[in-house]
Amino acid sequence: MRLSLEINGEDRFSLSDPLTPLVDVLRDEFFLTGAKVVCREGFCGACTVLLDGQPAVSCLVPVGLAAGCKITTVESLARDGVLSPLQRVMEEYDAVQCGMCFPGMLMTLTGFLARARNPSREDIKEALVGNVCRCTGYERIVDAALAAAQATVVEG
Amino acid sequence: MPEPSTAVKNFPRRDARDKLRGHTRYTVDRGRPGMLHATLLRANTPSARIVRIDASEARKMPGVRAIVSAVDAPGRHGIGIADHPLFATGRIRYDGEPIAAVAAETLAQARAAAAAIVVELEPLPAVISMADALAPDAPLVHPDWRSYEVLLEGGARAGNVAWEATVVRGDVDAAFARSDVAIVESVYRVGRQNHVSFEPRAVIASYEDGRFHIETSTQVPWSVRNATARLLNVPPSQIRVTVPAVGGGFGLKFDCALEPFAALLARAAERPVRLVNSRQEEMLTCLCRENAEIRIRSAVTKEGEIVGREAVVLMDCGAYGGEQIFLTTMTAHTLGGNYRLGAVRLASRAIYTNTAPNGAFRACNGVYNTFALERHTDEICAAIGIDPLAFRRHAVLGDGDLGSTGQVFESDVLGPMLDRMAELRTAKPSKRPMAGPRLYGRATTVGTWFVFVGPSAATINLNADGSATLVTSGVEIGSGSMMQALPQIVSNALGLRPEDVIVRAADTDAGGYDVGVGGGRTTVSLGAASMAACVEVRRKLLEVASEMLEVAPGDLVLADGRVEIIGIKGSGATIVEVAERAQRVVGPISGSGSFTGPGVVAMPGCATGHFIDAIDIPVFAVHECEVAVDPETGHVEVLSYAVVQDVGRALNPRAIYGQIQGGVVQGLGYALHEEISIGAKGRIDQTGFETYRTPLAQDVVPVEISLYEGAPSIGPLGTKGAGEVPILNVAAAIACAVSNATGRPVQELPLTPPHVLALLLGNKPSLELPHISASWRDNVFAEPSCVARAP
Repeated sequence: MRLSLEINGEDRFSLSDPLTPLVDVLRDEFFLTGAKVVCREGFCGACTVLLDGQPAVSCLVPVGLAAGCKITTVESLARDGVLSPLQRVMEEYDAVQCGMCFPGMLMTLTGFLARARNPSREDIKEALVGNVCRCTGYERIVDAALAAAQATVVEG
Repeated sequence: MPEPSTAVKNFPRRDARDKLRGHTRYTVDRGRPGMLHATLLRANTPSARIVRIDASEARKMPGVRAIVSAVDAPGRHGIGIADHPLFATGRIRYDGEPIAAVAAETLAQARAAAAAIVVELEPLPAVISMADALAPDAPLVHPDWRSYEVLLEGGARAGNVAWEATVVRGDVDAAFARSDVAIVESVYRVGRQNHVSFEPRAVIASYEDGRFHIETSTQVPWSVRNATARLLNVPPSQIRVTVPAVGGGFGLKFDCALEPFAALLARAAERPVRLVNSRQEEMLTCLCRENAEIRIRSAVTKEGEIVGREAVVLMDCGAYGGEQIFLTTMTAHTLGGNYRLGAVRLASRAIYTNTAPNGAFRACNGVYNTFALERHTDEICAAIGIDPLAFRRHAVLGDGDLGSTGQVFESDVLGPMLDRMAELRTAKPSKRPMAGPRLYGRATTVGTWFVFVGPSAATINLNADGSATLVTSGVEIGSGSMMQALPQIVSNALGLRPEDVIVRAADTDAGGYDVGVGGGRTTVSLGAASMAACVEVRRKLLEVASEMLEVAPGDLVLADGRVEIIGIKGSGATIVEVAERAQRVVGPISGSGSFTGPGVVAMPGCATGHFIDAIDIPVFAVHECEVAVDPETGHVEVLSYAVVQDVGRALNPRAIYGQIQGGVVQGLGYALHEEISIGAKGRIDQTGFETYRTPLAQDVVPVEISLYEGAPSIGPLGTKGAGEVPILNVAAAIACAVSNATGRPVQELPLTPPHVLALLLGNKPSLELPHISASWRDNVFAEPSCVARAP
């Protein structure tokens, strides 16, 4: 069976079994290795992508259920090599360490900031409840996300 | 050479952008044409005799290309003692021990074939706890321990005691017999901690042109090279190790791991082989921070002088000695650190059990010994009626004081750091009101750690475009040392911009020997080797410039991409011009340098069985926290956290802040909720993120940080390692604060809500460690006699 997928605005086709986890299709078929397989149980958030703008852990989504959704991965955040405002502020704040959790962190925060109106520090931490980071101790990621949110308010 | 201070800057890291874009290819993201997938068949029993392994049916299964087991890898490796074979050999020693490895076209095929391997076992009795292992007539994990090759002489060994290291300085019996002392005795116990590095241990190996190429997620490319060679019985030069970006290490990857399995399979199958641990394998066979048991006793005068101290530390090494053999060394510098001591004797014993081997983890040994020492110190203060802060200010190590092995400490560091913390404390209101009706506690703890120096090599190629390529065997594991500190050091020495320094990823065919990335040593050891390489590059560059400009080399200076005549700005030439000319006239400019620890002197005879008798670069830390304890649930909330850290010189302050915040949070997990339990059958109960609770964003607070600069250091530009030490006294600070809040003695970690509630309700029986004798001598094989006496 051929599955039609919309990944990062492009129409793609997959011959994978519809029960294959979306993260494996993204990584193994399309070489979109930004989403990381860390726990395969939906706890760590490192494989988070957006499905129709909503953050979802792609290890628990069978690819068959993603057909018909707009799938957005971390690779699409920068346009023409220009970082998204959230990516830019993460770089400016020197937030990155090993970097394995960042693709998932960025997708969760991108989805959250698109909907949140003037979020507080606590709101951002709550949004990150499903994203584990082992290196940074979180606070600088939260600082950066808060700065991105405030910049969005100013720009908007 | 330019001023050290000009190297200080918040230089951003080169690898951040690709990591943020999802473009970075860690080992787990890589593949090679024709690559096979591998899996390990692991034991599911803690102790058994292997009667028969039959892979004949498995070999016939679809897609299977190679199956290897103990007969294919005869060697043993280890630290101190070569006790560890690649595959279970003759017997199973822990649940999870590899029995065979399979490579197939797909991972599913490899797993199916592994399941089809027939393994006939005969159960043997197991020792699961250290108390089991030390019981009279306990079954031996290694009945053949006497036959193992000893790689470092000096440690006492017998039966289930894999290694014993002791320190004796001065007359401890006399100190305890004094009539003017109070004697305080405490016991403590801690569990294991899993690193949970997000990238699991992972490797891709191939066999090309008669040599192995191992691409792996490791902190120690040279250890992987050497251990793989030993296990496969090939010359080390026949193995090339390269390391892409590493997705977290924290010490987990400070040892050879999956690499030899993949190498063996690649040679057997004549195809590249990928082997990656699942998260469950990482949880069950992680080289955890070891569980430990500690008995400590001190004789203290009413003025607060510690005239005598003795302690026994049991460290569970699991089924094989590994890093714990080395780490027995560290008790001398952790339990024996922090305070001025009169007479002292310490014993550290690494104990074999039929459990998964333990390993290195950020500030290994130090984290729990600092917890024990600081809680014990608070108990001393309670016993003699001295305020804990006043006691610490009076008793901490200062200039000219002796460490436990007789090393002389230079300069007053901890005292002024405590003063700095007092300034932070008084500058801000207490968070006590945030506790509301909950129990409030505060504590201040001190810690002593070190930089694990040792051999490093660096080569610098000065390119004709004015950039420099730095070739080392260093690995970027996330801390930023390779991306920030090293380019800053090299660019400062050569008058370049840090962005013009290219740092080559580790490749043992290109970079010289290196101990590895860990122990806070990257900036110090690789930095010092890089500085030495810069000296050669600078000399060659100035020689060519001297000829061009007709000025003596001593009258030239390198700055801002130019070679200038001292005192005359704009007088010289660009480094590009000089490098181009050099390339044409004398050939391309390069320089090499190396570094090793100079070795600080200890008193002869004080330390036995130690890998390091004295520490080259001590590092100190002062931590303070406020907590609120919910008396209904036992939940501990951290209200504030502050750190004063001895960093020598902060080359990139912002990067160090990031290390401190991250290290403190890992320590909070260890102190409060990261719990590993081992079932009666020797298997670790926690199999993933659901059952092993790491800190989340809502659990943590921003750490208030003050960097203490200026303490003596042999590190380049006066630096000390800053990434390892932030975790050191977190558990100590939290445990002391919880003890202060609840009025109960905290003897064990982690302080999970059920644990704290049991303390509050008086349901937690006082910890007893009957297998550590109250008489120190009964715990050691042989008491060393120290030639020198404490003054």
